[in-house]
Amino acid sequence: MKGTALFKCLAMAAPLLFCVPAPADETCMSPYIAKIQGQEDYVYVWTLGVEGVGDEQDKLVTIDTNPASDTYGKVVNTLSVGGRNEAHHSGLSDDRKYLWAGGLDTSKIFVFDIHTDPRKPVLHKVITDFVDQTGGLVGPHTFYALPGRMMITALSNNVDHGGRTGLAEYNNAGDYVATHWIPTDADLRGAVKSGQLADGYGYDVRVKADLNIMLTSSFTGWSNYMMDFGAMLKDEAAMQRFGHTMVVWDMHSRKPLKVLDVPGVPLEIRCAWDPDHKYCFTSTALTSKLWLIYEDDGGEWQAKEVADIGDPSTIPLPVDISITADDKGLWVDTFMEGKARYFDISDPHAPKQVYEAQIGSQINMVSQSWDGERVYFSSSLLGNWDKTGDADEQYVKLYHWDGKELTHQWTVDFYAEGLGRSHQMRFGSYALYGKRPPAGETKLAAAVQ
Amino acid sequence: MRRAVPAGLHFFARGVLIAALIVVQAAARTSGELESGRTFDERQSQGPGDVREGYESADYRTRSRSLLERRGVPMDLIRLAETPPLGLPPVPVPADNPLTRTKIALGRKLFFDRRLSINDTLSCAACHIPEQGFTNNELRTPVGVEGRAVLRNSPTLYNIAYQEHLFLDGRELSLENQVWQPLTAHNEMAAPSIGYVIRKIRRMRDYDALFEEAFDGRGPDILTIGQALASYQRMLLAADSPFDQWYFGGDPDAVGDRVKRGFALFSGKARCIVCHRVEADHALFVDHRFHNTGLGYAASVSGKAPETTRIQLAPGVFTEISRAAVDAVTRQRLPNDLGLYRVTESPGDRWKFRTQTLRNIALTAPYMHDGSIDTLREVIDFYDRGGVPNELLSPLIRPLDLTAQEKHDLEALLHALTGSNVPDLVADAFAAPIGDLSAEDPNWAHENTLGY
Repeated sequence: MKGTALFKCLAMAAPLLFCVPAPADETCMSPYIAKIQGQEDYVYVWTLGVEGVGDEQDKLVTIDTNPASDTYGKVVNTLSVGGRNEAHHSGLSDDRKYLWAGGLDTSKIFVFDIHTDPRKPVLHKVITDFVDQTGGLVGPHTFYALPGRMMITALSNNVDHGGRTGLAEYNNAGDYVATHWIPTDADLRGAVKSGQLADGYGYDVRVKADLNIMLTSSFTGWSNYMMDFGAMLKDEAAMQRFGHTMVVWDMHSRKPLKVLDVPGVPLEIRCAWDPDHKYCFTSTALTSKLWLIYEDDGGEWQAKEVADIGDPSTIPLPVDISITADDKGLWVDTFMEGKARYFDISDPHAPKQVYEAQIGSQINMVSQSWDGERVYFSSSLLGNWDKTGDADEQYVKLYHWDGKELTHQWTVDFYAEGLGRSHQMRFGSYALYGKRPPAGETKLAAAVQ
Repeated sequence: MRRAVPAGLHFFARGVLIAALIVVQAAARTSGELESGRTFDERQSQGPGDVREGYESADYRTRSRSLLERRGVPMDLIRLAETPPLGLPPVPVPADNPLTRTKIALGRKLFFDRRLSINDTLSCAACHIPEQGFTNNELRTPVGVEGRAVLRNSPTLYNIAYQEHLFLDGRELSLENQVWQPLTAHNEMAAPSIGYVIRKIRRMRDYDALFEEAFDGRGPDILTIGQALASYQRMLLAADSPFDQWYFGGDPDAVGDRVKRGFALFSGKARCIVCHRVEADHALFVDHRFHNTGLGYAASVSGKAPETTRIQLAPGVFTEISRAAVDAVTRQRLPNDLGLYRVTESPGDRWKFRTQTLRNIALTAPYMHDGSIDTLREVIDFYDRGGVPNELLSPLIRPLDLTAQEKHDLEALLHALTGSNVPDLVADAFAAPIGDLSAEDPNWAHENTLGY
């Protein structure tokens, strides 16, 4: 596709330009990603196509988030990509010029150019052969920038569609580099099995770059994440196919060091920003707990349960979490309840819930600005897991957070707009590329509306 | 595989010899020596590599196998047809689709090709997983394209060559024709048409010349694709089980007393043999007929979802959730499964399903047409209760009044029906290439498109 040469050039330059970790917004992304200073101009929403809604296919939706704009809080662009790929997570390249977005079903990866015209992303490249290239990984999930690289976790494999899987490493040009298999009992790959479990499952990835540590978590395979949620809950065999481990890796060598037991399906990983804070958090989806993954006084990485999220017996189903830039607060969304909770994590070993709010009938992702003042929520978990009927609300909502309370600003109704189901949100900005919103663009955007 | 025992040996000496043979064979199998003489870890053929035994307990320990270990050893499959494993009759082969090595190899390649689905995600093997008894041990009912629900449990393909009716409602009559249903069913592989599949294969360069070689110059079409896939599936012959070695092979020590008592029950008090037939020189354990056991009736008519569902959250961790909570996330509503009635529309055929083979049954959990029963013991309990009463219940189904010991013995028999050549077939399947989309394959994002 066009633009490949430029893409490769940027890829080669990227390690030099971005070898020094810098804080990034929103708060939960790689430290190697360029950071938006100040107000974000757009939020890019990776959106699932739905039969009977609009053009029924996955798309990247751009919402204007600049309060100074005439189209603030409005959809200003949509870009359809073909198929219902089980659109899920997306991640920015280290130079923040490209947004990589994956399909958990088809294993396609869509690379969007978001810098040429931040208001109107274009499809730069489609990686269709992820499974073939990686030796059988299925379901690219997290896209996490490392210098000159994109580290991609997978959820499944092409032989039994179960949860054993690995990570795939690509360069910024979109070329496959390596596969890193998650340790299993039969092949621990040099790691220590610290407890009872080494299931080989995967989900998220994060790094504590200053400690040369990479962490992965675990979910479930294609058969489960694609199937009807209600049917799965009633299928005892299927309910046995969930991951209960996290793996501590040597970030630079990509070698697994230690497999930790974290029963209950640990999903999102959020690491503290302060170099002195040698810990990360995760939440377990099925058992509804917060877990702390931390380096102990002896330099050993450990995992321990530190708090309940709601009433675990009712399965609130914690999904996305978001740590504040000062490491003092953690947002936790619970899908089944449609709630956002705020935990005071000043003492990471004893988090305390200090606030909760009802955001919708269901909720999934949360993205907050670096200053913590703006918190965006979206609604869709998985195509066949979302709620049904009137409870199937699909939205992106912006709230302002003053440290005590969320105040609703606007809602984009993704069904009313004929878009689909809203999942991952990533921020865009003209300032990142030395640009300013072109004159007259707001008028153009109004015409689009 | 057959072990001949010289006549006239002193009973004790013969016993020692047989024991020694068993030990030697067991050792060989443990070390993984296949018919081909190459090595293969036999455990890889006995269930999911993601081992979940004991998962209900907090003491559960993983025994996960590495996907990198999943390396196969090809075998000469056609030899199975030439000399079927002990206990199987000659393989029926259509006159217009004679078996050839090239055809079988082509069928195997197609069987494991995920590109044959609309979005390149599902192959036949996605629901018929070799190490899971060519069915799926990890789901009650399979999941199709885009996660679409499938009504019935995935049936094993072992010994499918002998089935007179295909699908559990019997709606198809030949393997050659059958293959097109999963390929094009909206909730399975969802290819939009037969022509689409043919065109797609023609534009995959790794199939160049393969059809022409297998079919005397004829390329991929509605006939040859079916014939190739049928030829591979016809070779999944798995027998020479301990039962076969005892019953047909005359080896008195191939099975223990429990199995022998189990077979006496099977063919006597429990009357299983009426439907799961055993002939004088072979056994398919089917009667090629359809029966109403009441299971389908219960789900359709009297089945009411319980107020709460017990679900497992982690090893040793369970909770109960309400029906309302489950309903809130139940998106796909399936029709009631009326079985053979869906084919004949005869009201008398409601809830009748094809008799399933019992061969290799220990490898094919979960059980019944809907996968609703997890263990063989629970299946025996179901029949012991006489199924589920309904006005169309088969007269062959009635309470059996089995004792716990008798159930135990029947279960032992069922475990003795696993073919000794299963590791060979699984190893061969592991050696098959998995067809995943490459940059050269037809796709709208590639230079090579679907040509529309």
